[in-house]
Amino acid sequence: MTTVDQDLEPAAPSAVEGERLTAPGGGKPQRRGRRAAGFTPYALITPAIIVLAAIVGWPLVQLIITSFQEFGRAQVFGAPPNWVWFDNYIDVFTDPVFYGVLGRTLLFAGACVLVTMVLSTLIALMLVRLPKGFRMLLTVGMLLAWAMPALTATIVWGWMFDTAYGVINYALVNWFGLAEFDQHQWLINPLSFFMVAGIIVVWGAVPFAAFTLYAGLTQVPGEVLEAAQLDGAGGFARFRLIIFPYLKPIFMIVTMLQVIWDLKVFTQIFALQDIGGIRAQTNTLGVYIYQTSIAGGDFGHGGAIAVITAVLLMAISIYYIRQVLKEEEL
Amino acid sequence: MRKLGIVALGAAAALTLAGCASGDAGGGSGENATIRVWLVGTDTPDTARDYLVKTFEEENPGSKLVIEEQAWDGLVDRLTTSLSGSDSPDLVEVGNTQAAAFTSAGAFLDLTDQYDALGGDDLLPGFVEAGSYDGKFYAAPLYSGSRLVFYKKDAMEAAGQTVPTTLDEYVATGAALATANPGKSGIWWPGQDWRNALPFVWENGGEIAVQDGDTWDAQLSSPESLKGLEEVQQAMQTASVAPKDANETSPEVGFCDGTTLQLSAPSWVKFSILAPVDAEAPGCPDQEDNLGVYALPGKDGGPAQVLAGGSNIGVSAKSANPDLAVEALKIILSDEFQTIYAEGGLVPAKLSVADKLGTDDVAKAIAAAAGNAKATPTSPRWADVEAARILEDLFVNIAQGGDVKTLAEEADKQIEDILNS
Amino acid sequence: MSAAVTPTTRAVTAPGSLDRARRGGGRRRVTTWLLSALSVVLFVLFVFPVYWMVNTSFQPNNDVRGSEVHFFPDNFTLRNYETVIFDPGRTPFLPAAANSLVVTLLTVIIALVFAFLASVAVTRFRFKSRRAFILTILVIQMIPGEAMIVSVFRVVDGWQLLNTIAGLTIVYIATVLPFTIWTLRGFVNGVPVELEEAAMIDGCSRAGAFWRVTFPLLAPGLIATGVFGFIQAWNEFIMALVLNARPEMMTLPVWLRTFLVANGTTNWAGIMAGSTLMAIPVIVFFLIVQGRMTSGLVSGAVKG
Repeated sequence: MTTVDQDLEPAAPSAVEGERLTAPGGGKPQRRGRRAAGFTPYALITPAIIVLAAIVGWPLVQLIITSFQEFGRAQVFGAPPNWVWFDNYIDVFTDPVFYGVLGRTLLFAGACVLVTMVLSTLIALMLVRLPKGFRMLLTVGMLLAWAMPALTATIVWGWMFDTAYGVINYALVNWFGLAEFDQHQWLINPLSFFMVAGIIVVWGAVPFAAFTLYAGLTQVPGEVLEAAQLDGAGGFARFRLIIFPYLKPIFMIVTMLQVIWDLKVFTQIFALQDIGGIRAQTNTLGVYIYQTSIAGGDFGHGGAIAVITAVLLMAISIYYIRQVLKEEEL
Repeated sequence: MRKLGIVALGAAAALTLAGCASGDAGGGSGENATIRVWLVGTDTPDTARDYLVKTFEEENPGSKLVIEEQAWDGLVDRLTTSLSGSDSPDLVEVGNTQAAAFTSAGAFLDLTDQYDALGGDDLLPGFVEAGSYDGKFYAAPLYSGSRLVFYKKDAMEAAGQTVPTTLDEYVATGAALATANPGKSGIWWPGQDWRNALPFVWENGGEIAVQDGDTWDAQLSSPESLKGLEEVQQAMQTASVAPKDANETSPEVGFCDGTTLQLSAPSWVKFSILAPVDAEAPGCPDQEDNLGVYALPGKDGGPAQVLAGGSNIGVSAKSANPDLAVEALKIILSDEFQTIYAEGGLVPAKLSVADKLGTDDVAKAIAAAAGNAKATPTSPRWADVEAARILEDLFVNIAQGGDVKTLAEEADKQIEDILNS
Repeated sequence: MSAAVTPTTRAVTAPGSLDRARRGGGRRRVTTWLLSALSVVLFVLFVFPVYWMVNTSFQPNNDVRGSEVHFFPDNFTLRNYETVIFDPGRTPFLPAAANSLVVTLLTVIIALVFAFLASVAVTRFRFKSRRAFILTILVIQMIPGEAMIVSVFRVVDGWQLLNTIAGLTIVYIATVLPFTIWTLRGFVNGVPVELEEAAMIDGCSRAGAFWRVTFPLLAPGLIATGVFGFIQAWNEFIMALVLNARPEMMTLPVWLRTFLVANGTTNWAGIMAGSTLMAIPVIVFFLIVQGRMTSGLVSGAVKG
């Protein structure tokens, strides 16, 4: 991202020249000042390390061990487990159900990330151009949506989509004259279930992404934005060529976070399944792991699925991880 | 900066200490202990709860008994962790079909030597079996629910129907009621309600799964079972306007607003229907005279084989006060306590208390239904079949008009996968 | 130089200069009006579920389940709140709310302190395992937590901390730490070391320079990261369900879910009242810190 910035600097001379150094690119001066010190940095990371080692590290080791064992409810209550080595992994990889869950999760997360990012970018651009009053209005609206806890949001949307008493069926029937939506069951068809789940996820995710992108846009020098005013033809091209390079690092991070969050989606699906829908056809990886291990009492297979999921997430984010490491090389 | 490092180390040390410091807190044993009892759902009436607390604290001065109510949903998940931890509840209720998962895992205390003291052969035999594993007795019967058919007398009469005497007639009556009253349910049957579907499988000679040596063979796609499932589909499609994907909660709502003319439900639903109008879950007490009830009829008349729904109760193997827990269990299985269940319309855990059910229509229907109840497969992994909601999914699909044979074969495969894993 | 480290000011001034630059042009005015109209539509879309929750929570159950949908609580009642808060037959609300509040606040504060220390270490020092540490922090976020519930349960059980505030708090700290460190690291990075060096020339010690110069500039960053910690800890319910099974130790999400999966009746009006009660603290918290959050987010994000 440093290179992008250097290319841009001469192209966009600006009154706020001095400030921009710290905005999209920069970072170098700090590294110069980073110093070697023996004991202090280790002491500084110790509290974090202790907590993480106890609550994440050790359970993670156990998870990996369990994934190589036949580990059922009896083992939870103290029976010694049998080692089955890669049997759990083989079972998972030969189970069509797993591929169903995997494909569903990837599609769902992909769709959510795409819609979230497109909407957020548009809203961020819009915020820049809105008159102050309307900008406040939209900001307050998004803050409210952002503040809604995921569980609460799922329950409320579930209630709005309720078959018998839901406001959405009511509106469709009485306002739009769509009689076929009388008593329409939104959650029963897996596709429609995921549409509802997607709405909940996107609704909750857009505010964060839009605010972040907007904040990023406000750091783009005014002249650049002015030059890129999206009037008439070529607006998209100008956005892509002029504004986007500034936004790119923020855009990358937000996208990456959305990918991680959406692939691990749990609360929304889990709670929506409580409200309705066919579990076997609506499980995503997070929920499937829970179903297999805790509810199903099969911790061996659940562990294997979890390990596979983690590896998968790392593979998907490898580009991002490499980017970070490259930066840290200095 | 070095100071900051020292502060950090201090914080880390404090954290480590916090972890160890509270090492031996909590839970003394013997006298002056507190017994935690997990009761699930709202089936156990308040009078019974009060009686249990009062009697226990009188008989064991200085000790206390606390009832912690749990929800049925996710119960297996919570028991798996809670029973294995050091802060385990002492006495826990568990669904009779879920009991095997925990008796087989060693989660419960062996109560074999208490069997006679708890009631011996007077205890409901099917539930004793559900609470036993490998020849040992782990979880005592708590109560048994039974399923009854509730109907509106006026609607039945208006449609020119009478109380059905066979299972086929039951479906036909439901369809006739629905035809005579468009937009209403002749049999209210939401898609997830698999418990009401099992009698159709059993009455047609089918089974869920049978044990063959070490393996389980799922039977839902056998010709007999399929016949029953097709009948279920017919009933769901011709007689019910209930949501095809909903669960069977709140049956009283439709009954009270008039959209449900007949439904099969646990016996306590009577109280939901007759609840006061201004209750949190309002009922319709004005329907009392109009509320008819009978036991689901079998294929060839007589009561059908219905699902023996109910609960067992066991002492956690990790209980800090097993002796006191057993004392509490004895109170729960006393005639006095069980009578409260009977008076609330539940089948008590002891055969000798069954006459306390009363003599009205409901009581007769309960007795008839309970006499012919049947259990789910006795595998320790059956609870996992329930937790995976395979049957809910199956009947939601059936309710929607899916191909019964294909669906049953899929479900059989899933059930076998779990039972034989 | 000082201008270089005030992302907050910049965030505020930039759009202003834009407004000025945008003046004139009829077509633009039309576009602006269209956008304004669109923003109102979006506002409604974002707010409607929140409104619907509150609206339902003030209606009697009979209205909620009637054939007519009530867009205003015309038969206004507080009964649902009364039921969910005080009904003896329910798991009590007040202890659950207190538990949630204490656990969440402790989590946020402690996690911020730990994360702050760690982020200072990785941004201001060179040390051997620095890269490994950063990589770990990143990778941890990709492990699905649902799989480790039982292991975590056993760890906490081993410490005799089941059904305690401390146990749940430690678990939540670990849950929010990776993301918190990750974000704070960006913020600390955003404050140039030269500032501290300048202060040292003026006679401050290194630590003194850090505290006096850098730390105050991190306030927006700490707030932004704190918000994330708050949301995560406030909303988490699977760990809470398993670790704090005693009714008196429940947290709000677990309490709320007992309504959803309750046996018998789904009391939507009650559930909405419960949901509203659970959402209020987060909304209040958001409104308080709102102004500083957005500006903070970016300077953190930009540093990647």
